[in-house]
Amino acid sequence: MTGYPEGYTSPRPEWTTGRGLYNALARRADVAAKYFAMFLLDAGGLAALWLLVTYAYAWYVLGITAYILVPWWVFALGVVEGAILWESLGRSWGQKALGRELTPVSGEATAIRRLLYFVLWNLFGLTGIGFVLVPPLHERWSGLGLRRERPSSQAPVPWYRTSAGLFVAVLLVVTLVSALGVTLTWESLRRLFTQAGQTVEFWRALVRPDTTILLDAMRDMIVTVFMAVLATLFAVAVSVPLSFLAARNLMRGPVGRPIYTILRGAMSIARSIEPIVWAIIFLVWVTALRSPFAGILALWVHSIADLVKLYAERLEAIDQGPIEAITATGAGRLSVLRYAIVPQIVNPYISFTLYRWDINIRMATVVGLVGGGGIGQRLINYIWGVQYRQAGTVMILIVILVWAIDYLSARLRAKLA
Amino acid sequence: MSPTPGGAGAPRDRLKVLSRRAFSFLLDWMAWGYVAYCVMYLLNYYWYTVHVDWWGTLTLPSWGWPVVILATLELAVWCRSLGRSLGQRAIGVALRPVAGERISVGRRVLRGFLWHLSVPLAPVWIARGEEPLHDRLTQVGLRTETPDPERPGRRAILTQWGFVSLFLGALTMCVGWLIIGINLQVLIRRAPQAGRIWGEMLRPDFRYFTAPDPVFHLRALSYSILDLTVVTVFMALVATVLGGVMAFPLSFLGARNVMGFSPAGWATYGVIRGFFNVFRSIETIIWASIFAIWVGYGTVLAGILALTIHTIAALGKLYSEQVEGVSPGPLEAVWAAGGSRIQVVRHAVIPQVLPSFWAFTLYRWDINVRMATVIALVGGGGIGDMLFYYKNQGDWSKVGAVVMVIVAVVWAMDYISGRLRERIA
Amino acid sequence: MPTPYLVIDGLTKVYERGQVHALRGLSFSIEKGEFLVVIGLSGSGKSTLLRCINRLIEPTEGKIWLDGTDVTRLSAKRMRRVRRRIGMIFQQFNLVDRATTVRNVLTGRLGYIPGWRSLLGLFSSQDKQTALANLERVGLRDKAYARVDELSGGQRQRVGIARALMQKPEILLADEPVSALDPATSHSIMQYLEQMNRQDGVTVIASLHFLSLARRYGTRIIALKDGQLVFDGPPKTIDNAKFKEIYGEDAEEVEVR
Ligand SMILES: Nc1ncnc2c1ncn2[C@@H]1O[C@H](COP(=O)(O)OP(=O)(O)O)[C@@H](O)[C@H]1O
Ligand SMILES: [Mg+2]
Repeated sequence: MTGYPEGYTSPRPEWTTGRGLYNALARRADVAAKYFAMFLLDAGGLAALWLLVTYAYAWYVLGITAYILVPWWVFALGVVEGAILWESLGRSWGQKALGRELTPVSGEATAIRRLLYFVLWNLFGLTGIGFVLVPPLHERWSGLGLRRERPSSQAPVPWYRTSAGLFVAVLLVVTLVSALGVTLTWESLRRLFTQAGQTVEFWRALVRPDTTILLDAMRDMIVTVFMAVLATLFAVAVSVPLSFLAARNLMRGPVGRPIYTILRGAMSIARSIEPIVWAIIFLVWVTALRSPFAGILALWVHSIADLVKLYAERLEAIDQGPIEAITATGAGRLSVLRYAIVPQIVNPYISFTLYRWDINIRMATVVGLVGGGGIGQRLINYIWGVQYRQAGTVMILIVILVWAIDYLSARLRAKLA
Repeated sequence: MSPTPGGAGAPRDRLKVLSRRAFSFLLDWMAWGYVAYCVMYLLNYYWYTVHVDWWGTLTLPSWGWPVVILATLELAVWCRSLGRSLGQRAIGVALRPVAGERISVGRRVLRGFLWHLSVPLAPVWIARGEEPLHDRLTQVGLRTETPDPERPGRRAILTQWGFVSLFLGALTMCVGWLIIGINLQVLIRRAPQAGRIWGEMLRPDFRYFTAPDPVFHLRALSYSILDLTVVTVFMALVATVLGGVMAFPLSFLGARNVMGFSPAGWATYGVIRGFFNVFRSIETIIWASIFAIWVGYGTVLAGILALTIHTIAALGKLYSEQVEGVSPGPLEAVWAAGGSRIQVVRHAVIPQVLPSFWAFTLYRWDINVRMATVIALVGGGGIGDMLFYYKNQGDWSKVGAVVMVIVAVVWAMDYISGRLRERIA
Repeated sequence: MPTPYLVIDGLTKVYERGQVHALRGLSFSIEKGEFLVVIGLSGSGKSTLLRCINRLIEPTEGKIWLDGTDVTRLSAKRMRRVRRRIGMIFQQFNLVDRATTVRNVLTGRLGYIPGWRSLLGLFSSQDKQTALANLERVGLRDKAYARVDELSGGQRQRVGIARALMQKPEILLADEPVSALDPATSHSIMQYLEQMNRQDGVTVIASLHFLSLARRYGTRIIALKDGQLVFDGPPKTIDNAKFKEIYGEDAEEVEVR
């Protein structure tokens, strides 16, 4: 209450309070983010198309690998201006992907207006200046606005009549053509149709497996199974506590959020490295004398990364109801954990662990191929020793093992669910 | 109806109950057999009664085998009579008195002895449709366990099955530790060497990111990291497209609800599902080793074929499970309108499953990119060629660069495919 | 003397699983243009009866004569030809939720188009026009290109009706068409059925839960109990005693307005 009559004073602008300022900024950031996401999709798409076309052209016509073939600034300018032009004159695929459409605020969307939009978007949109206002400057002055597309009772335009649809189609075709060009060679295709006989020894193992190696192979299989079991157990011991630190809903505040971010980032990096690659690193560490040890370490690291992600995602999806109920009784944090969170996650955790165990059995055979011990190592030794019948025999054993474990883990998980 | 094992009821039900019992017995026996294996392994390891090489072997004198088999059998039998064994717990049954309040220890012991009499006589009491002899004479029965609200169960660790499972777990740890040869001292002792490698990898050498590396050759051509990354992603793409295109029609043949219940339908279903399961069990990298021999070591085609085969099997299984999970209503509607089987598939099944098919295919592309990065190990081509070449050269800073590129690509694929899948679902 | 349009003779259905006798020697006949309402407790065999008529379920015994042909003896191929004369709408609508409304309506046309064209999803423009016209008729023209999962229950059932209209059916089977709907919507759906019956001369066989709806729309009512016919006659003749016989002693009649 200022004491002045109504209408005598103008109300304080919204942005002078902290919260109001935050809201105003957030609104502008939101609009700008939409625009730039769209722009990135369009420019990225055009860039990808250009790269692929030049790549295919260089590969087929010039016989070299090259990606741009023009000075980089021509490429950059072309992509940026092309994207903006597309967004201004038609319905770009970025707009389509985000479900927006450039529509006139009033009157017609004439070519002049669209060109004006193009120029203004260059001047104010790209530079970011226009976004200080909502709606942004280029929308205001051109009289065109990005609106959510309205569902119409008219039949939708078929994809081959829209620029976005055509663009995607061309992109797909060019991608496939260049992918085939790069990956296939005549020589390998010729061998595919003439050299099938090379593998005959493998298939012979199907009817006449080499039984003399069975006992040794079984022993290696025991090692493989133990590798998978122990790697899983040790990984569970580490990832269960870590998963609580990697759950977004439990890690709040200035201490929690950084821990969450770092942990999830590290885990997603560790997960991106295949166990085989981990195994070669660990093999150098513990030496090839202890190959199963290296193998189990590789499996362990990869399992931790995978399990933490699975566990944490489950934690993020827990039902808040029981937590509120237990907290409302005045219980402490530990009681909430014990009586509201743990009961919700036990079964899914066991289920994920079984799933990971199943994967670890497969991975344990694969890790053996780089010298990580177990049945995989025996297999690769036979292959490199050109003992294909023995290799085939070992493969049959692996199939039986993997299949049995897969079945077992699926049955157990079905029971848990 | 709570099953009365071996008791009255339709003969089929009775046999089913008995086979469940047999299965749970086998489980107990196997558990004790495993304990015996582990114990003997430990004895061998520490007392050198028989020579053990590092990965472990089990050698018994000729009379040892019957002894072990019989001893474990007896252990299983007595465990099942004296308390609630692991096998009984696994199928969710427990010994309950038919008459009287509790089962006295004497009755339990008697049951153990009677078991030996009862099993040879099994044909007799099965034929007569009676409860197993040892159960009948001691007035007990194996009943499905229903929790009693009056008497809360004992803590798991204090029961026989709880104790045995803990014991099995601990034994597995010990034996596994020895079999695998886990040695933490080595880890610490050789930490400096490992540290050197890590240090070099964390100072990656990106000189040959776009420029071909002159020391690295593949069939007389030099490649840059970027070149091979593109090749890797393309490999995965081609394999996913090929695999998806082939898995699509097969998945309908491997779906119960589409194939119907005629003998031909069953046969097709069985063959297709068997194909999916077997081919899925063979890892991509093993396929790659076969195809590398076939189409040439280090050719990209070998990798593509390996990825494709595994993709067909894996996607086929996922697809057909989706097809089996469609809601039957729209199918019924198309049948009712006079549609043929093909029309039912086309207009009632496919519209329901297509979004999840796309999601699975994207997911598969993501996995294929991961696999394609290492498939070169056995001659499948891709960026792995470079990775293993540098690793063999001991050029760890270049290995670091390659690994970082792989991480970036895999991570980006993971993110993009995850976002797209979210939108589709 | 002309034979009745649909004759059901000694129809019996025993479900293999659990040896359930769903229908026990049911016999009755219907003239062209009737609006027959089937009532009965849930589990009394109404759905089984309707599905036996177009053989979505194979009857165990008995004969069904439709316009002089014995439906139960037809080969699968001939049966499909008969089915396209028989429209059907369902309690749970049985629409493909992820497809557009007009797509769903067009599936009603599938019995008429050859395999390869329908495989590509190519419907003739005439079919598309008819689909839009039928949607117009049920008042959903503006939702033609919306996905079905955006529609309400009543709208979905109207899509189901439009789909049945695509077949130009002579006879319409409606299996509890309004059980999943609220009273007001129920009436609007029933009125569409009535309109089909009166204007297009479609014979309608509808199973309903509410006696009041049955009385209001049916020209004749039959009642099932444990797979047997316990009542057959015009709506007016169902009195309180009959009602108790059909629905059991404790039942209480509920009005749907
Ligand atoms: N597929 C089936 N398998 C076994 N029994 C069934 C099946 N469908 C229906 N039944 C049984 O047949 C009887 C009649 O069912 P239904 O025709 O669906 O009755 P309503 O539609 O009148 O509720 C019920 O007892 C039901 O349990
Ligand atoms: Mg019903």
